[in-house]
Amino acid sequence: MLTFVARRILYSIPVLLIASFLLFFFVRLTFDPLPPNLANSKDPHAKQEFLESHGLNDPIPVQYGRWLGGVVHGDLGASDQTHEDVLSAVERSMGRTIQLLFYGSLVSAILAIIVGVYSAVRQYSIGDYVLTGISYIGIAMPPFWFGLIAIEFFAFRLKGWLGTADPPLYSLGLHSGGESGFNLDYLRHLALPVATLCVQIVASWSRYQRASMLDVLGADYVRTARAKGLPRRTVIFKHAMRNGLIPLVTVMALDIGALFGGLIITEKIFSIPGMGSLFFNALLQGDAKMLEGWFLVVATCIILFNLLADVAYGLLDPRIRLA
Amino acid sequence: MRRQRRGLMLLCALFSILLVAAACSSSKKSNTSASTSSGSSSSQAVPDGGELVIGAEQEPDCTDWIDQCAGSSWGTWMAGVTTLPRAYDVVLNGDKYEYKPSILLTGEAQLTTSPKQVVTYHINPQAKWSDGQPITSHDFKYTWDQIAHGTNIYDRSGYDHVESVDDSDPATAVVTFSSPYAAWKGNLFSVQFGVLPSHLLEGKDRDALMKDGYDWSGGPWTFKWEKGTSITLTPNPNYWGPKPHLTKVTFNFVTDTSAEFQAFKTGQVDAIYPQPQPDVIDQINAGLPDTNKSITDFTGNLEALWMNNAAPPLDDVKVRQAIGFIVDRDALVQRLFGSVGVNNPMQTFEENVLKDFGDTTAFAQYKKDLTKSDQLLTSAGYTKGSDGIYAKNGQKLSLTVQSTAGNKRRELTEQILQDQFKQGGIDLTVDNHKSGDLFGQILPGGNFQLAIYAQVLTAFDPTLCNLFCIKNIPSAANGNSGNNWTRTNIPEADKQYTIVDENLDDNARMTAGKAGDKALADQMGSLPLDPLPNMLLWHTKVLGPVGQNAIMGPFFNLEQWGIQH
Repeated sequence: MLTFVARRILYSIPVLLIASFLLFFFVRLTFDPLPPNLANSKDPHAKQEFLESHGLNDPIPVQYGRWLGGVVHGDLGASDQTHEDVLSAVERSMGRTIQLLFYGSLVSAILAIIVGVYSAVRQYSIGDYVLTGISYIGIAMPPFWFGLIAIEFFAFRLKGWLGTADPPLYSLGLHSGGESGFNLDYLRHLALPVATLCVQIVASWSRYQRASMLDVLGADYVRTARAKGLPRRTVIFKHAMRNGLIPLVTVMALDIGALFGGLIITEKIFSIPGMGSLFFNALLQGDAKMLEGWFLVVATCIILFNLLADVAYGLLDPRIRLA
Repeated sequence: MRRQRRGLMLLCALFSILLVAAACSSSKKSNTSASTSSGSSSSQAVPDGGELVIGAEQEPDCTDWIDQCAGSSWGTWMAGVTTLPRAYDVVLNGDKYEYKPSILLTGEAQLTTSPKQVVTYHINPQAKWSDGQPITSHDFKYTWDQIAHGTNIYDRSGYDHVESVDDSDPATAVVTFSSPYAAWKGNLFSVQFGVLPSHLLEGKDRDALMKDGYDWSGGPWTFKWEKGTSITLTPNPNYWGPKPHLTKVTFNFVTDTSAEFQAFKTGQVDAIYPQPQPDVIDQINAGLPDTNKSITDFTGNLEALWMNNAAPPLDDVKVRQAIGFIVDRDALVQRLFGSVGVNNPMQTFEENVLKDFGDTTAFAQYKKDLTKSDQLLTSAGYTKGSDGIYAKNGQKLSLTVQSTAGNKRRELTEQILQDQFKQGGIDLTVDNHKSGDLFGQILPGGNFQLAIYAQVLTAFDPTLCNLFCIKNIPSAANGNSGNNWTRTNIPEADKQYTIVDENLDDNARMTAGKAGDKALADQMGSLPLDPLPNMLLWHTKVLGPVGQNAIMGPFFNLEQWGIQH
């Protein structure tokens, strides 16, 4: 196992280098390397001076090498727009995205497993059809639409019906002003963005779980377990579900890795200043340094979670030897 | 199996009935927005205590107000105006804005003009910073020195006219000018930059100490900046002026318009100050419960159709004038802002708050009149083709308009103009760009024919020479600086706007401003379009003199606001 992990990490390094170079190259090609205050300046000498002093006239591979040297020392540079340290900005934003991802993934996993197992066990029942239909609606539903509808209903209309001063669920950020920590206020802020995140994820994960469970329930060893007279509950939860979870865990790891940079719409709607908002604002402002740092961190997360998926697969299924 | 099939068929039938019922039902909109009213909440007594939450559309890039990164208006409104002392306020007196000495001064600053222009500020002896240190003339001197001689400064206008600041008397700052400068009240030690604390910043890296927030203040509030989330104001305990009623004001950053209005409707924010975009106007017209609103075109904003006078075919004054008779500005303004009560196009390049310095009828001659535009284009040598588009020497009369990408209001304006131009026999294409490219390279470089963008006042002083004087055409002579991007070259306008810039007599400036406007309009330097209205919305529980201020922003008097308990 350790050899496998070490080898995978080693293989990941050139992948990361190639990905980061391509990202650096395309960001440099796309965005003006001058910070906005100089881009708007009418002084060509000031612009030239900045380019010279920051090595921005050097060939891109040279600039990349310089940037990589900084990265190795933990220095992702400073934002062109705000002069803030890129690493600090990414850390801060990552903290908020992780909160959303953690609770979203947790709730999604629980619901997906319940729905998937039920659908598989009660295949072709009315419940199965209803849950299948809801799943496809969830997959088809745009998250921004669901988010706005959820805000309209749970934050606005419900407030009117209940006649309360505050809305029952909030749609702005992760805390009210002055609040912090894990408390009722936090949960009221978290409910709608997590629900928006869950809608699509539960839908697709439950489909995977259902398919996987159906595959397992038809296996010989499960038939043997039933034939031996084991209770139905034991057959499903002890024998079938554990094997049925393996593909889902793999899919979960891959999806979560991608979501580190993919919550742009949810974060925008709920004004959560996470990784998605950071990327969106940097893109609008043409903040090249922030984009480069962002891409590197997200690419690292994706590679890491891919590795995690492989490791989890090997751990869950002893038949698989990770060589 | 049969039961399951019957059950499934019943379920499908039920869904179908529901779908048909939904499709056939009438759409009744219930009006949940029964109570909207206009005006301020000044009549009710303002109680002490309570907290307010305001939705902010923009987070500042930094809070070093004199640095290049501090161009955000929202930043100035939230944390600049509320924490930095300033020499003059700009306040509304009846239907006019005027300068009023702030409580930093004991009264009006003294102005002498001979032999040199000298302004003497008498500092209020009670004025002090939040750490208890007095505000002195040395702070004025330090501020001037930083702005006039520092690096990466946002705007040195005015400060580069100052020769020296005498701080020998701590209670008196004597500012001597190297050349006459009329806009000293608005541009020096006032709204944009205020006065900085020398005892805390001198000899240190000012930018490093200020850019990410600071805990000192010379105003009624101190602030704390939680990046990405909010700016929170709390009362400055050592403020020597009227203490705030509220115990806390939080500006939550809400950059998405839908989210902003949702937050306002649900009471998560108590006030918002949205940009005049089409979707914002739709939201307001859809109705907002328990809301006071102030929508006004008496602002320091103006959007125009800027014409590059040096770029063919716009170098022909007849083509420019023809455009003036093709564009139906009344219809344009009606379409953009008519539903919120803003109906009149701009008839001068002076923003409405400075209308006394302009001729508010200068461009009124330009109303839609396709007969006149036809005559002008024909006399310029154009003939109309079978496709209805004019041509000359085998070349179609085709123009390109550029603006900032992603701005829905400007995109809508362009669509309307395209249609109007076509009716007038001109083919108009749209080519929008990122604002950095547009304002950084394209416009200064003169690489455009038509452009749509806004002028926004940052100081209460006319600045048309900056935009239309010949000396301000970007060239090697002025180091390619200067904001006369339209390459306007109208000698009479130039002469008059220069008087506005340099003469210290306001009456003379107003007369010259009117004459300059007339000359500009006669030669159609460019075409003013619409006043961008300012829109402030606040919950009925917010009390106090809530209202607009075109120069200082709506939160300049936040210490007088309160909330119903």
